[in-house]
Order: sequence, then structure tokens, then C-alpha cells
Amino acid sequence: MTDIQIQAKDLSKVYVRGSEKIIAVNKITLEVDKGDFVSFIGPSGSGKTTLLHLLGCLDDPTSGELSIEGRTVVSDGKSLPESKLSPLRRKLFGYIFQKFYLIPTLTVKENILLPFAFHRKPGLAMTANEVAERLGLSKRLAHLPKELSGGEMQRVAIARAIINRPRILLADEPTGNLDSKRSEEISEILSDLNRSDGLTIILVTHNPKLATKAHRIIELQDGRII
Amino acid sequence: MPTISGIAYKNLRRKRIRSILTILGIALSTWVLVSLLGFNRGYENSLNKDIDNLGFQVLLTAKGCPYEAATLMLQGGQGLRYMPENTVDSLRADKEVEELTPMLMQTVFDPGKGEEGGVVGYLGIDPATYPKMKPYLTFREGKWFSGENSMEAVMGFESAELEQREVGDQILIPGKNVEVTVVGILNRSGTQDDGTIFMPYKSLQKIFGVQDKLTSVGIKLKKTANINAYEEKLYTIPDVQVVSIAQVKNTISNLVSTARVMVMSIAIIAILIAMVGVMNTILMSVWERFQEIGIMKSMGATTSHIFRLIWLETTILCLFGGIIGSLLSVVLAKATGALIRYILPYSPTGSLIRIDAPLVLESMGIILFIGLLSGIYPSLRAARIKPIEAIRSSEGEL
Amino acid sequence: MIKRLVLLFLALSPFLAYAATGCDLNDPDRDVKRLFPTSTGYKTSYASIQKSGGKATLAAVEKALGDKFGGLYETIDAPYTIYTIYKGNSVIGYVHGVNQKGAYGGLQVFLALDTKGKITGFYYQKLSSKNAAKFKAAAFANQFTGLSLADFATLDIKTGKGTGKAALIKNPSTATDKDFLNTLRGVKKNLVLMNVFIYNK
Repeated sequence: MTDIQIQAKDLSKVYVRGSEKIIAVNKITLEVDKGDFVSFIGPSGSGKTTLLHLLGCLDDPTSGELSIEGRTVVSDGKSLPESKLSPLRRKLFGYIFQKFYLIPTLTVKENILLPFAFHRKPGLAMTANEVAERLGLSKRLAHLPKELSGGEMQRVAIARAIINRPRILLADEPTGNLDSKRSEEISEILSDLNRSDGLTIILVTHNPKLATKAHRIIELQDGRII
Repeated sequence: MPTISGIAYKNLRRKRIRSILTILGIALSTWVLVSLLGFNRGYENSLNKDIDNLGFQVLLTAKGCPYEAATLMLQGGQGLRYMPENTVDSLRADKEVEELTPMLMQTVFDPGKGEEGGVVGYLGIDPATYPKMKPYLTFREGKWFSGENSMEAVMGFESAELEQREVGDQILIPGKNVEVTVVGILNRSGTQDDGTIFMPYKSLQKIFGVQDKLTSVGIKLKKTANINAYEEKLYTIPDVQVVSIAQVKNTISNLVSTARVMVMSIAIIAILIAMVGVMNTILMSVWERFQEIGIMKSMGATTSHIFRLIWLETTILCLFGGIIGSLLSVVLAKATGALIRYILPYSPTGSLIRIDAPLVLESMGIILFIGLLSGIYPSLRAARIKPIEAIRSSEGEL
Repeated sequence: MIKRLVLLFLALSPFLAYAATGCDLNDPDRDVKRLFPTSTGYKTSYASIQKSGGKATLAAVEKALGDKFGGLYETIDAPYTIYTIYKGNSVIGYVHGVNQKGAYGGLQVFLALDTKGKITGFYYQKLSSKNAAKFKAAAFANQFTGLSLADFATLDIKTGKGTGKAALIKNPSTATDKDFLNTLRGVKKNLVLMNVFIYNK
């Protein structure tokens, strides 16, 4: 029996820019299973990032339904209030982005542990050393972000995203700022997290090599799955 | 493990110069605030002490008679009026009187003073009671008179300097051709006593032929006495006028309150400027970290977490600024006092600025409160940042 | 009433306690015109032993005077006011006063001097004495006219004796009146200082 983790139905997002209406996501219906590895590909403006944000409860859709792990998050285009979304996000999701968003004044270790400043999953969370070892950052823990390479920075961002053991990892162009060798490293890490931890991964990328790591590749154009 | 306060502190170190300048601004406001609050208390205190130093709260003079030698000199030594010496006895009968001292002012024209001559004044006092009322008069040389009829003089610092007198020297009362021996020279007191020549009033009565007459009586009342009521009573005595030190104090207070209001306005402006500075610093830092804050929210930071983070930064700035400012105010208290003394029309002797621990704590409380107040808006703005806005603003993609 | 009270308190103010200890003319415009009727103007300058060489100068002054400096007015940094008298653009003389301790009070001994240091006028600006009239009489003052420092050089200011013309000046008062010797000391001190400040600069 498949275990449906994310269920989206007729999900749409419309932006209004001046008098122009832009339909970023157009009535997308989609299911993601637990432990799945999905990648969204498509040209710029195809709506893949917006879709990722919608699925990750970062953005409010204009219409449609969305439920995550059986809980209704969006019903008839109406999202839960921020006060309910916020705990949901920190419980279920880990996010990584093209830009790493490390805090420049904190060391690698502090950056990895940053989520603990706000929230710690009792009994579940990993230690900084565990994560660091896993991502090959053990020797970098005392360094500041500016002393790291791009690949290392993204690994720190990944470490930070998974320290609280999320169930779904959302990655927006995680290799967008990296050269091919570093991209390969990151791809490996993501595959490994999916394989050995059963972490659901939803990925947005331009990188075909990275996309092929996924179990499913979903191509978008003009806000629709093609 | 990073804590919210740790993050706040480290962030302030990111833009060190900006933080230092902001702290400096707060420190200056604190300094102004502490000094001014200290001044408000110190001034009152010193003024009261000055008034106490005058020895008597009420001066009774014969009607129309100038009540201080200085005024007398300004009038060219004219206009002395007398009251009978036995006035003292009737005054002494009053239960509210603690102590009183008879005084006799006399002036004489000295043709040897300057080209056209000048007026010299003598203050006749009672050696038994006057020194007790003026405990701040101390001797540089010598002592008070040997007896109540002695031909001796005690000179204020200035007058001794002018006449180049030392203990044992003679002075001449011009016109009377009376030689008087200097038995004491007072230390500088900063009052008009510095320019006064004191003699036993009985000797002056004899020399000037004004037996049984006085020009004024200094009255010190018991602490429990009602000064106003007592003054009213004094006015029933014929041909006297009452000079109350309370009156003088009011005049001075009025004079100074204008200056005080001005200084206080400056303080409030300084504090407002610091407040705007704090707000600006924190707001700038919030905008610069727009994305960071968004990311923190995406990793589970709640609105209240972010609010606390930003508010803490404000608190740290204000705390440091407050501490530095307080230290500054303590260290510079003397210099500040001198500055205020320079600005004010009249300042009492003694320390103008009184700063103690409760005052510093109170001021720090005010600064902290104002700082926190100015931190609210930036903190709210930061707390309201939505993660998606922060991310979108940087990725620039739909 | 209130105004007078304020005035009184301002009089109490410690600021006034620090008056200069110099020796100035009471009314320079009038005094200069009286001492130098042909003058057209004057300039005021300030000198002190401190500024004119310090301790070495003080020692020299004391030696020339024949007495030690002492008391409140005879300090190394006491200011001296010198009035330089002009007729048109040229200097025609000086006016200089000193404080001198007297028997009954401070004396202020003023001299008017020509450009060579010769006394052209002598008077007390301040004098407390039973015999003030005798000291202030023209007969006494005139005896100083024409003398200069050289005439006082050998004069012992403690006895009034010496070999110069200054020793011939007659005491206008009683023999026991110390103010005669005090005056001689004041005049000699005045000349010695002027020699340091102006003539021998």
C-alpha cells in the first residue's frame, strides 16, 4: 500500500502585477508518497518554484486543496492561519535554497544548530557532530561561513535543514550556485538522505543530472504539468 | 548551541562601528539624563545648605536700613537706621526663637581711599552668638575677639588682602583716629563675609557714639517653628522690616527654574535623538537581514522568536549605552557641575550634582524603557516578515 | 525689593571673591591726563616677575631693593599694570603703581616717569594714616620729582639712610611713623620693577 504524504488538488497561484494577471501555478493535482524523491523541471517561469513553495506551506495558493500527512492545510483556496502553519513547517519540513542563507556571524556549528534556538524535536534531533560527520563537515565546525567553499556552504545548509529530522526536504535549485563537481556531491548527499533515511525529497532544478537522481521527474510549463 | 541572545549579540558585532556609534549616542543621552537628574537634587540640596550657612532664617532690620554691608556700600554708606538694643530682649522672649544675634553696621568715609576717598564699612557683631551662627567661617590666622568691648577686628579674606593686614597689624578707623588691632583673618568663604571687617558691636557703639542701638538682628528659629507665622508676628514691631531667607530662596529658585526648564528640554531632545538613532540602527539591521529572518522563520522561528531577537538587540545596545553613560556621568560629575555653574545665573556652593546608585539605576531604567519602546516598531516589522517574501525577494523567481 | 535681594545674592556669589590683586589706576583716563597733561593717549600692559625671568629676576629685584619680597602682593606672579603714555605716536612716559604694606593698611604708591626713568610725579592712590594729610601734601610729593633709580641705589629702606639724593627726602610725619619708610620702600620697589619691566628690558 502506498502512503500518500502530500496531496494537492487543483492547486493554483495567481499573481496580479499591475493590470496583468500571471497564473504561476495552474490547477495542479499531484500526490507525493512518503519516501518519494520528486524533481520539478522546466524553463524559468514555468511555476516550479512556486509549486514547491505551495507544497512546503511557505506560500498561500489562490485556490485548490492541499493536505499533508492527512491534515488539511488548504481547503477551497484557504490556508490555515500562520499560527498553525508555523508549527507545521518546523515539524514536517526542511528547506534548502539556491542561496544558502547562512548567518555570517555564526560558526558552521552554530549555523547547523540554529533551528534549536527556536525549536528542538525532543528525542529526535541529531547532534551537530552526527550531521557534520555525515556531510563531511567535521573539520569545518569552528569556521565561519565566509571561510567555506560554495559546496561546503550548501552542505551546511543541508545539515541545518535536517538537524531536526524533518519528514520532507524541499530543495530549490540546491546546486544552482555550484560547479559540476560540487553539484555531484550535493546530488549524492540528497540521494543518500532519501535512500537511507527515507526522507521525502522534492526538488526544483535546472540541472538534468540532479533531476535524474529522482524517482519521478515532473516537467512543468506555464504552470501546468506536461 | 546558539541562543537567541547569542545571535542578537553576535549580530551587533557584525556592524561594529554602527553599533558603537549607537551605543555612544545612548551613552551621551544617559550622561545628560543622569547629570540633570543629579543636578535637580544636588542643586536643591546645595541651595538649602547655603541658606543654612547664612545662619539665620530671618533678618530683622530697622525700617529703611540696608540689611547687608554690600548694599550699604552700593549706596555710599548712607541710610543707616537704628533700632533700640533692647529689641533683642523682647525677641528672645519668644519661644520659637532658638538663637539670635545683634548686629550693628557702621560706615565711615575714608579720604585716603582712592583719589576722592571712599566708604569703609564695619559690621559689629556679638562675639558670643555670631560665630556659632556662622560655623563655616574659619580662620586662616588668629581667632575671634578677646572680649565684647575689645578694640579688635577680624577681617574677611578679601579685606585683609586689600589692606595687606596680618594678625597683630593695626587698622585705623578713619575720621575717628581709633587704632584697632587685627586679631583674626578668615579663610575665603565665598560669601560677602570675605570683604567684611568684623568688630565687637559694643566697641563700634562706643566708637561711633550709637550706644544702645542696633541696625539688625539675625534670628534663627527652632526647626519646629512656622517661619511665615513668625514673620507676621515680627511685623507688629514698629519701624522694622523683615528680610526672610525663604524669600531669597524663592527668588533664586525662580531664577534658576527657567534655566532648569531649558536644560531639561535639551535633555529630552537628546533622548529623542538617541531614540530615533536606536530605531534607525535596528530598522536598518532588520532590512539588511530580511532574508536571514525569513529563513529563520522557515526553520521554525515564530513571530515571537523574531520579536525577541530584535528586541534583545535593542536591549543590549541600550544596556551598554546606559552603563557607559552612567560611568561617564559619575566620572565627569565635577566637570559637569562646573559647566552648569558656568551656565546658571546663580549657583550655590557645594556639589551641584548628586549622583548615587538609586539615581543611576533610575536613569538606566528610563533609558532602557525608552530604548525598548523604540525597539518595538522595528521588532514588530521584523516579526511580521513572511518567509516566502524573504525568499522570493532574493531568488526573484515565481 | 526682589531685585535687591537678587543683587544681594549675586554679591554673595563666589565669583566676585576672586578679584585681581594688581594695582590699577582708579580712573585711568582722568589720572593720565592729570599726570601727563600733554598726552594724547595711553596703552595698558601687564607684567610680572614670573614672565620677566622668574626666580632669577626675583632674586635680582630683592637684591636691588635691599629687602625680601613677602606678603600677599609681593608674589612672583603678582600682576603689575603699566600705563605707557603717548603723545601722538611717540612715548612720553609711564605710569606705574605698586602695593605696599603700610602701618594701618595697604598703600598704593603711584609714580609717573619719563622715558629715561626719571620721576615726574608721585602720589598715593590709597593711604590709611592718621597723618594722611602730611603725606599727601605737595611739599612731600615734590621731593620725589626728578629722582630716578640711581638716586635710590644706596638708600637703605629699613633706615631711610644712604648716600644718594633719595636719602635727603624729609619725613613729613612724626619720627615714629613707619609709613615714611614704607613709602620709600614702595617708591624704590616701583623703580626697581620698572627698571626690570621697561628700562632695562
